[in-house]
Amino acid sequence: MPKRKFLGEFENLVLLAVARMSGRGYGMAIRREIEERTEREVSIGAIYVTLERLEGKGYIISHTGDPTPERGGRVRRHFAVTPAGTEALHRSREMLDRMWDGVELDGAGQEVA
Amino acid sequence: MGAGVPHPPRLSRAVLRQAARLTYAEALIGDLEEEFLTHRVPELGVFRARLWYRRQALRSLPPLLGHAVFDARARRPHRGKRENRMSSFMQDVRFGLRGMRRNAGLAAVIIITLALGISANTIIYSVVDGLILHPFPFPDGDRLVTVGTEYPRLGRGLNFVEHMSPAEYVDIRESAESLEHVVAWDMGNRQVSLGELSDNLFAGFWWGDAFETLGMTPFLGRGMTEEETVAGDPVAVLSYRVWQSRFGADPDIVGTSIGINGNPYTVVGIMRPRAELYGMDLWMPMGVSPDVFPRGRRQFQVLARIRDGYDMAGVNTELEVLARRTELEYADVDEYEGWRMRAATWTDANVRQIRPAGYILLGAVTFVLLLVCSNVASLLLARSTARRREMAVRTAMGASRRRLVRLVLTESLGLALVSGVLGVGLAYLGTSAVANILAGVPFLPGAVELNPRVLAFAAGVSLSAGILFGILPALQDSAASVGATLKSEGTSATGGPGRLRLQRGLVAVEAALAFVLLVGGGLFINSFARLTRLDPGFSPEGVMSMRLTLPSEEYDGPAIGAFFQTLEERVLAIPGVEAVGRGAQFPPIAFAFRRVATEGLETTEEGQLPTAMTTLASPGYFDALGIPVERGRAFSAADVEGSPLVAVINEAAEAMMFPDGEAIGSRFRVGTGADDPWFEVVGVAGNTLNNGLDQPTFPEVFASHRQVPAWSNQMFLLIRTSVEPHSIVAAVRSVVRSIDPDQPVYRIRTVDEALAAGVAPRRIAANVLTVFAAVALVLAAVGIFAVVSLAVGARTREIGLRVALGAGGRQVRSLMIRQALVPVAVGAAIGFGSALALSGVLTGLLFEVSGADPLTLTAVTVLFGLVAFLASYVPALKASRLDPVEALRVE
Repeated sequence: MPKRKFLGEFENLVLLAVARMSGRGYGMAIRREIEERTEREVSIGAIYVTLERLEGKGYIISHTGDPTPERGGRVRRHFAVTPAGTEALHRSREMLDRMWDGVELDGAGQEVA
Repeated sequence: MGAGVPHPPRLSRAVLRQAARLTYAEALIGDLEEEFLTHRVPELGVFRARLWYRRQALRSLPPLLGHAVFDARARRPHRGKRENRMSSFMQDVRFGLRGMRRNAGLAAVIIITLALGISANTIIYSVVDGLILHPFPFPDGDRLVTVGTEYPRLGRGLNFVEHMSPAEYVDIRESAESLEHVVAWDMGNRQVSLGELSDNLFAGFWWGDAFETLGMTPFLGRGMTEEETVAGDPVAVLSYRVWQSRFGADPDIVGTSIGINGNPYTVVGIMRPRAELYGMDLWMPMGVSPDVFPRGRRQFQVLARIRDGYDMAGVNTELEVLARRTELEYADVDEYEGWRMRAATWTDANVRQIRPAGYILLGAVTFVLLLVCSNVASLLLARSTARRREMAVRTAMGASRRRLVRLVLTESLGLALVSGVLGVGLAYLGTSAVANILAGVPFLPGAVELNPRVLAFAAGVSLSAGILFGILPALQDSAASVGATLKSEGTSATGGPGRLRLQRGLVAVEAALAFVLLVGGGLFINSFARLTRLDPGFSPEGVMSMRLTLPSEEYDGPAIGAFFQTLEERVLAIPGVEAVGRGAQFPPIAFAFRRVATEGLETTEEGQLPTAMTTLASPGYFDALGIPVERGRAFSAADVEGSPLVAVINEAAEAMMFPDGEAIGSRFRVGTGADDPWFEVVGVAGNTLNNGLDQPTFPEVFASHRQVPAWSNQMFLLIRTSVEPHSIVAAVRSVVRSIDPDQPVYRIRTVDEALAAGVAPRRIAANVLTVFAAVALVLAAVGIFAVVSLAVGARTREIGLRVALGAGGRQVRSLMIRQALVPVAVGAAIGFGSALALSGVLTGLLFEVSGADPLTLTAVTVLFGLVAFLASYVPALKASRLDPVEALRVE
């Protein structure tokens, strides 16, 4: 089996959030997106750490926005998914689908992220 | 942004910034700030918005710190996890290695200098450990004691060798409660036949089982029992080394018979390695009861263990009481007046003479290491220019000062470690060389080797050296101000006035250390030169000496006389032999002393009981050694057994025994007993340095061996040659064989060699200290050179300006030299003071030179000043030749 890069659970969440925001996502917006959709509290530090890791893996790219006074003159960093990132998302989803295929659970179904 | 805009909590933001080792750390902070201002403050109010901010910062810390710990991942994002999981320690080590690679030349210089310093320390410590701290293998060494005596009436200080009578030994054994296993021994030489060969072994004759006292079992077999030693049963114990070298380590030797002086003895045991005392390779029974000896026959020594429940002070109190009781009981024995007995551990008694020299060498070599460390620190400081930028960048990126100090120290310790390994390697070679040199020094106990204690010492020295030379550069490097350093573009060659000040301080330290070492070396050279320039009072050149001991079982008095007479005659016939004589002792070593008495002379002018060296000699003795007979005559062929006893005395003996009258024709008695014989003085010989080169001439009386051959079966043959002295040894051996093939010849050496051996400890100390002093001078010169070069580099622009404004080369030079020599002068002054303060330590080891010898101090000051001037002149010269245009262009 060829060696592949797999996404961790949180990486998956962050990468999906970046994809949802179509290139306009920046740290705090991504965080908000994840919090709203998963009802799960996420720290901004964890978001950035993951963003850097994803960029290192080549799944996202970033570009600088303009500095604004509200940001104390600091620039915004916008993130967008690369083709490799898209492929990784597809792979991750297929993997989960294949795992779910034919699984029947009693009672309430398990939440899957 | 106007005033009044609420800002997020500063501390939280700062913490966040420290923790976030991210490429986009600023974006993160910006996001939080934006959210804070645009959403939280309007919604929650400033106070609760700040709470929110703090909570965000706090919750972000775990992921950020987790990231920071593995921050190698951030630098090399495409590597696998495992590889990147490097501890910060490994990072430090990697940093150190990188530093060494980048600066291979510097690292090599540092490592070599340090390795030499560490190896010198290791070698000297191995000597101190082997010869002074742990010379003996005996367990519980601090409870193994010997008892020394002091006889003020005989002018004799504390002595532990051949100094006690059997009666005194019995007194100690029977009445000292605090001592147990008290044994005593006498020393001599015995011929041991080993198959075809016969050889002479240094032997001990015992009362009691020494193994019990030493706290050791024999290596093989058993020791001699107390009963055997008194009864004189034919049993013997051999040393491990003799068993190894001459009996092929054959374990079956135990229980077999060997010939000692022609009689069969059963070998009952083998000693453990290094257990032979004073080099006695053969232990035998004394064979007589102690009570047959007169009280004044003092040629024995005792060994004992402190009994449980007592300590050394208790032992000495008891011995003091015993001495006073003896003094009262034997009022007729006048030398007992004020005599003392003092116990010392066997180790102390044996190393007390070399201990000061050993500690001085250890101190000196520590100074050398301190000098090396300060030089290395100086080198590292010089390098830290480039380093400061790197450090500033690291600081900017969030490295703490502590972390930077650790980083630089790890590098220093790495250098020290490599140097330590190299140093121990060098020390390994060095200790065997040292062991060879020390083999020439007589009666040194112990062994010089790299044992675990020495290796631990070397490790400790390396570690301390690493910290010592690393700490200054570490503090200096890590203290770099980020802004200033980065803005300076790093072209400044010095790294600021702080570092130059540090280096000047180091130069002062180096100057002080070097000065002290130079004074020490100078004093020892001076002292040793005086010692070797001494006129020994005779002509040692071209004289061969060798010893023979005729077994008393086979040779009675007349036979001894006949043997030696024949020997002298036949040796004289050997080509190249100019004169032959024999003597029981010859300068500079003396071991036979006796009380002498002259009619009407109770005490010497100093109030002491007259004692003289008593030397048996043949008529040829004076010619062979070149001792002038100033008045009267030497012994003649007419002075034979049965003729009236005659004596030659030296001038010192004449002055002591016949202070107001003519010695020749007068009589004196050797010994104090009524039966002791009277001698008539027939000649007065010149004084020789007969009691050691560093001691005044001792009064000496010579008796003719031809008249009293039974007094000694053990004589040195002294042969003056016109050829290379060693070349006649074979011929002499064959002459001896022609008279009695069983008699071995031993202790073969020239008289010059004997003289050299007598001053060997001083010669070794002088040589070693001279080397240390020379190394110190070079190191100090290098240090001065470096700091002046740096100062010149630092002030290039200023110098250019001065020259441009009309300053001459001479002015520039003198400016640079003056500034350089200020710390040198301060250091030298401190060194001068320290040398004076330490002079008391040295005085006891110096010969006719005071520790504060003005000549030496002056010479050292001049030499040091000259070297310091030259070391600063060369770089200053460079400064004065700067082209002002070029110099001003330098940033």
